[in-house]
Amino acid sequence: MALFEAINIHKRFGSRVVLEDISLSFEEGKISGIMGPNGAGKTTCFHCLTGHHRPTRGSILFDGQDITGASPQKIARLGASRSFQLMNLFDDSSVVENIILALPEFRQSYARLNRKVFTHPEFLQKAGLILQQVGLQGLEWQPSQSLSYGNRRALEIGVALAANPRIVFLDEPTSGLGAEATRQLAELIKNLRKKYTIVMIEHDMNFLFELADQISVIHWGQVIAQGAPKELQSNKWVQRSALGEVA
Amino acid sequence: MVAMLSVENLQKTYFKGRFDRTPTFSLKADFQIEEPSIVGMMGPNGSGKTTLFELITGSNSPTGGTVRVQGKDIHKIRTDQRDRLAIHYHQSYQVRSFRSLKPNFMLQRSGSDYPQVHLFDEPQFNTQDGYIGFMLDFFRELRNQGRLVFLCVHPNERFHLEILQEICEQFIFVQKGVVTQHSSYEDILNYQPARDYLGDLLEARAA
Repeated sequence: MALFEAINIHKRFGSRVVLEDISLSFEEGKISGIMGPNGAGKTTCFHCLTGHHRPTRGSILFDGQDITGASPQKIARLGASRSFQLMNLFDDSSVVENIILALPEFRQSYARLNRKVFTHPEFLQKAGLILQQVGLQGLEWQPSQSLSYGNRRALEIGVALAANPRIVFLDEPTSGLGAEATRQLAELIKNLRKKYTIVMIEHDMNFLFELADQISVIHWGQVIAQGAPKELQSNKWVQRSALGEVA
Repeated sequence: MVAMLSVENLQKTYFKGRFDRTPTFSLKADFQIEEPSIVGMMGPNGSGKTTLFELITGSNSPTGGTVRVQGKDIHKIRTDQRDRLAIHYHQSYQVRSFRSLKPNFMLQRSGSDYPQVHLFDEPQFNTQDGYIGFMLDFFRELRNQGRLVFLCVHPNERFHLEILQEICEQFIFVQKGVVTQHSSYEDILNYQPARDYLGDLLEARAA
C-alpha cells in the first residue's frame, strides 16, 4: 500500500480551475517525481498535499489515515515535512541553530526556554546527525546566510529532516543551482532514499530521470502522464526533444 | 443520440461602446460535433478563436444562438458547474471575467461530474522539453474516454502542422469571425483561406 495518497483532488480558486481530478500515490522508500511546465499546478498540488490549501474536492491519505483539510502543522507532526521553492531559513542564526529550531524535542521544551537550548548536548548531537546526512558537518556555527547557495539548499532539506519525517516533499530543490551543486544535491538525495520516502517537484528533467523511481507529469492541473523514467523517455516526442539523448 | 457539441446560430457581436452601437467585431458559428473526437482549430490572431472557446464554455454570453453540450444549454447551467461540462485551458494565466446575468439558483445543474468538452487554447508546443508527447497522449486518452477535445494551435513551425495532422480527426477554421468545419486534414488544406493562412509552412512541407 502507498504511504501517501491523493485521490481525485480538485482545486478551484473562484471560477479558476487549478487542479482537476489529480490522483497520486507515493510508495514507501521510493523517490517520486512531479514535473510539468510553469503554471501547471505542481506547487498548488503540493500545497494541497501538505495542508496549505484545502482541496475543493477529493481526499488525502497518509499511512491510511484521512488527513484531508488537516492543518499544515498537524500533517507535519504526523511525519510529512516539506521544503519550499523559496528558501525559508533564519539567516542570522547559525546552521546548527536552524536545525535545532526544527527539532520536535525543541518544540516540546518551549516552556523551558531559559535553558540554553542551543548548547544543550542532546540537541547538538541530534542536529549533528542531521547535518551529517545533508553533508554540512563542520559548518555548524557558520551563520546560515554565509553559506553557498547549494549548501543553503542542503540546509533547507536538513530543516525538513529535523522534524523526523517519514515522507519529505521537496519543491524544486535544484532551482538556482549550478551544475556542480546540482550534482552534489543528487548525491545527497540518493543517500536519503535509504531512510525516507521522497517526493519532489522538479523542473530539471534530467535530474528527475536520474533519481526518481516514478514520475508524474502534471499539466493543466491534471496528471497527463505517469510512469518509470524509462517508460516516459520512450515516448516518440521525448526522443525527439533534447531529453531523448539522456541515457 | 444527442450530439457531443451543438453550436446553433451562435452569434457574438462586440460594439464600440454602450451608446455607440457600431459593431467592431462579429463572430458567427453553426456546427455540430456528434461523436467524441479531437478537433483542431486554426485561424489568424484576432479572428475569434478564444471568443468561440469562451462561448462554448459559457464564460462569455452570446448575442444570439445557443451552445449545447450533450444536449444541455451551457448558458443555462449554474456558473459554478459549467466547468463540469466544458473546460477552457487558457493560454495565459489571466482569466477574463464575465458577469453572470442570472443568479445560480435560477439555473440548471450540469448533471456531469467530469468535463465532457476540453478546449486547449494554444498549448505551448516546443521541442526543447519532451512535454509534447505527454500532451498528445493525454488528448488521445481523453478522447478514448469519450470526451471531445479542441486543440487551438497557431502554427508557426512545421512540426506544429505535423502535430495537427498526427492527432486531429477534424478541423475548425476561424477567420474574421467566420467559422468553417472541415472533415479532415486534407479537407482543410483544400480550403483556400486556410491555405493562405498557412502559406509558407505548406511550402516548406513540399520542399
